[in-house]
Amino acid sequence: MSAILEKGPVHQFDSAAIRQQFPILAQKVHDRPLVFLDSAASAQKPNAVIDCMADTMRTQYANIHRGLHWMSERTTEAYEGVRDQVAAFLNAPSREEIVFTRNSTEAINLVAYSFGALLKPGQAVVISEMEHHANLVPWQMLRDRAGIELRIAPITDEGDLDLDALQDILSDGQVALVAITHMSNVLGSVTPARQIADMAHAAGAQVLFDGSQFVVHRKTDVQALGADFYTFTGHKLYGPTGIGILWARKALLDAMPPFMGGGDMISTVTFERSTWAHVPHKFEAGTPAIIEAIGLGAAISWVEKVGMEAITAHEAALTSYALTRLADVPGLNVIGAPKDRGGVISFTMDDVHPHDIATLLDRNGVAVRAGHHCAEPLMRRLGLTATARASFGIYTVQEEIDVLADTLVRIRNFFV
Amino acid sequence: MTMPVDSGALYDRLIVERARKPLFAGRLENPEKIGEGKNPLCGDKTRVELQLDQDHISLVRHHTRGCAICLAAADLMAERITGLNIAQAEGVGRQFSAMLVEKDGQPATSATAGTPALEQLEAFAPLRAHRARIRCAELPWVALKEALSHVDV
Repeated sequence: MSAILEKGPVHQFDSAAIRQQFPILAQKVHDRPLVFLDSAASAQKPNAVIDCMADTMRTQYANIHRGLHWMSERTTEAYEGVRDQVAAFLNAPSREEIVFTRNSTEAINLVAYSFGALLKPGQAVVISEMEHHANLVPWQMLRDRAGIELRIAPITDEGDLDLDALQDILSDGQVALVAITHMSNVLGSVTPARQIADMAHAAGAQVLFDGSQFVVHRKTDVQALGADFYTFTGHKLYGPTGIGILWARKALLDAMPPFMGGGDMISTVTFERSTWAHVPHKFEAGTPAIIEAIGLGAAISWVEKVGMEAITAHEAALTSYALTRLADVPGLNVIGAPKDRGGVISFTMDDVHPHDIATLLDRNGVAVRAGHHCAEPLMRRLGLTATARASFGIYTVQEEIDVLADTLVRIRNFFV
Repeated sequence: MTMPVDSGALYDRLIVERARKPLFAGRLENPEKIGEGKNPLCGDKTRVELQLDQDHISLVRHHTRGCAICLAAADLMAERITGLNIAQAEGVGRQFSAMLVEKDGQPATSATAGTPALEQLEAFAPLRAHRARIRCAELPWVALKEALSHVDV
């Protein structure tokens, strides 16, 4: 491993050393250097994660929680060690509040199912206009199943949550849960989580934050945020796919019925009835994603060694540079102007469709996302059908923003 | 930066021209047949309107909101099928789809005897290497299929 990581937390970014740890960045696409600006969809993986997962399979792997043998005990220790790591990463009060899921989508579905089971007809769940489908569809399903009301908190034209409107929505005291993104995957808007939590609590509601985008870019402290539920996914945090996290206050997890039944989540089972294991195991039925959880642990260690403050500063500088460069591209429109923006920029171009932008960028080695970004209602709110989106990560460098901006100018010239 | 953008041969000049200035865009006053195609992935939409003279397609207009590939595909389809009978138009559609499917580096099938040639539609052949974009070119043909689905031949 390079010197940068052996020294512990650093606040001066050595981009070259960081990029060297992501082998995929040396790949060429259409004979051009890969410029990967799609980290908000899924981030690339450093050697630390790749090697950790391969080493686990090569040297220390067995099923967990049921082994009376050395391999199983060591693997259980590694898996459960990640629970401690995640608890520290989120500043959760207790490791028992960390539930491993498949991804953030599954974490939200778990809450919609199990917390949803405690709700009564007439109670309401509030989401916002800028939610990813992952934080929308599970609540529609709950609404149709349980007779609850689903309320939508509007956003401003700049792409910020409209807090006055949220206050009105909360005023009748019927809201049981406010479920809001902590950072929009389309607009990059960072929501004022603490303020939202205070408003929700004052109205007697719990609050869930979808932190899939946020945890990658900023330090997350669920206690300081006043959150009741918090979710994120491993693969956007430089970890593997197939592993996500639900954090929830223990009192809530204790009160909620299980999500899925099976092995590992029970205390005793007879043909007549079963009793449940304690939290968090009550919510982890079946053999979990063991190798992926261990890989997530490696990703968190790696990110913490680079230093979240350094990552935040690096990405803020890149985002501000990108906004300046994109402002000079003729016909380009940046979508939204939120008060606080993470490393995500959606844009359209007059007379050029986002899919044509994405295909032509790809021909020139630049990977961006184009489409509705799993946020169709938001697209409708913005009066758009699709956008192109560039998103930045730990390994993104200024030269890549230059390639993006220069290629966009040439794309514009090609069509107009 | 004056170097032109690399389009990987996908955006043939004809495609770019037709996307910019379609010749068959618009609506018919009294269309006999109407079909619509939608791509839920990107929100692209096309509406194809036909006028028939017996079993011949005499007039075609399309109303398309989409990318350059989709727009040009709709326009060049309209041009190609005008004057054909329904069976011929469907044959061209099948051939067009076959051209976009790659099998061992070659188009999946060749033209069946009696089907009119693809002619300008061959400009879309490089799409074969861009699988995610094939739907864009096929959308107008989906709309055409719907428009013709109620025609007794």
